[in-house]
Amino acid sequence: MRASQPGPDPGGVGEPDLNWLLGHVARGDQGAFEAVYDRLAGPVYGLICKVVRDPAQSEEVAQEVLLEVWRSASRFDPARGSAATWVMTIAHRRAIDRVRSASAELQRDQKSAAATAVPAADEVAEAVEASLEAERVRRCLDSLTDVQRESISLAYYGGYSYREVSGLLSVALGTIKTRIRDGLIRLRDCMGVSW
Amino acid sequence: MKLLRHDLHTLTGVYALDAIEGSERDRFERHLHRCQPCGNEVRGLRETAGRLAVAVAGVPPPQLKERVLAAAARTRQLPPLAADRPQSRAERLQSGTEPLPPGTERPPPGTERPPPTAGRTWLPRLAAAFGAAGLAAAIVLGFALSSTQRQLDSARAQDKAISAVLTAPGARILTARSSVGGTGTVIVAVRQQKLIFTATGLPPLSAAKVYQLWLMGPPRIRSAGLLPPPAQGRTPPLLAAGLRAGDQVGVTVEPAGGTSQPTTTPILVMPVR
Repeated sequence: MRASQPGPDPGGVGEPDLNWLLGHVARGDQGAFEAVYDRLAGPVYGLICKVVRDPAQSEEVAQEVLLEVWRSASRFDPARGSAATWVMTIAHRRAIDRVRSASAELQRDQKSAAATAVPAADEVAEAVEASLEAERVRRCLDSLTDVQRESISLAYYGGYSYREVSGLLSVALGTIKTRIRDGLIRLRDCMGVSW
Repeated sequence: MKLLRHDLHTLTGVYALDAIEGSERDRFERHLHRCQPCGNEVRGLRETAGRLAVAVAGVPPPQLKERVLAAAARTRQLPPLAADRPQSRAERLQSGTEPLPPGTERPPPGTERPPPTAGRTWLPRLAAAFGAAGLAAAIVLGFALSSTQRQLDSARAQDKAISAVLTAPGARILTARSSVGGTGTVIVAVRQQKLIFTATGLPPLSAAKVYQLWLMGPPRIRSAGLLPPPAQGRTPPLLAAGLRAGDQVGVTVEPAGGTSQPTTTPILVMPVR
């Protein structure tokens, strides 16, 4: 339903419709790709920085991700999700691949990571300034319980597996699993995601 | 067994956040193939996660864009996944899956797909329609050469409305330099009470700020909308209605989302005579 019409953009990144642009990217339209870049490079880079931390590495991963969008645009299926989410999913997975492979050689200090992975109030405040969508995200995050918010932040922004989150928060594995799901469902309803 | 099912179903959340690894992940993905409600839930939760990304949007280093675009230009794209039928060799050649052997030619024109920019077909018509409004056409066609033209493409209704203003009898073009650099151009159709605003070279703003267009009349000041973010230094056309004779057109810098009345000194004001 939503997929065929340029409805409100799930990423909140604005018009024109990204699905439409990606269709053109899939056919080799470099101008359309540039438009996609202009729209999504900010969130892609921001998310990767959040997970990877190191700016130089983040830039590398962002380049890989954006190039992957160009390369595999034909594989994007609007029936299965929004274009922005497709791109963010690629970005998130690549970022996680990077930190998980890096953590083999360089053990991250889990404690300090735990302290910084949860967006601090002022970090969220910065994000709020970034857009009205961010404001809504913050409000919705605020409506979660502490465990829900912390586990979602650690998993998504911190790039930790839920087993790691369970260790970091000293909360049972099964509890983390359900808290994350319950929290995301609450966020979904709060943000009015209609997929 | 029932418990196991339930257990699997609650993994939708951690799966949507890529927070599940290894064999557990594989097992859940197999389950997803069979469990439609799980698939639907994962989709919604992934969209939700995508919005968490938007909340932490950053400013990529400026050189990244050039590098990515250059890399794209020399990177072959994947063909679509063949849905029901095997691709013909011609299609493979065309989609670039298969390299052209030396000395062979591209498939004959009849077998080619429509060009990627089918959405542009209105342009020649638009250009033809603007014999009189040459400058206006030049402005619009100028956008056609940059990626922002696609924004026009994607909003056909707006295209129509914009062409209507451009071709309106008595439509006039005004330009003025802004106090912060760059030039604004307004095409006004007073009788239709409409105007189109575009700009070039306005300094980029942080995500927290936005350029807002105002109709500043003697009775009161009305918002005419937020200027779309520029692409390649060009601000895509903004169509506004409700113009009255005697109005001045102004632009201010406002907090993201805009305001109901200007809160800063206009960077540009043009009287509409």
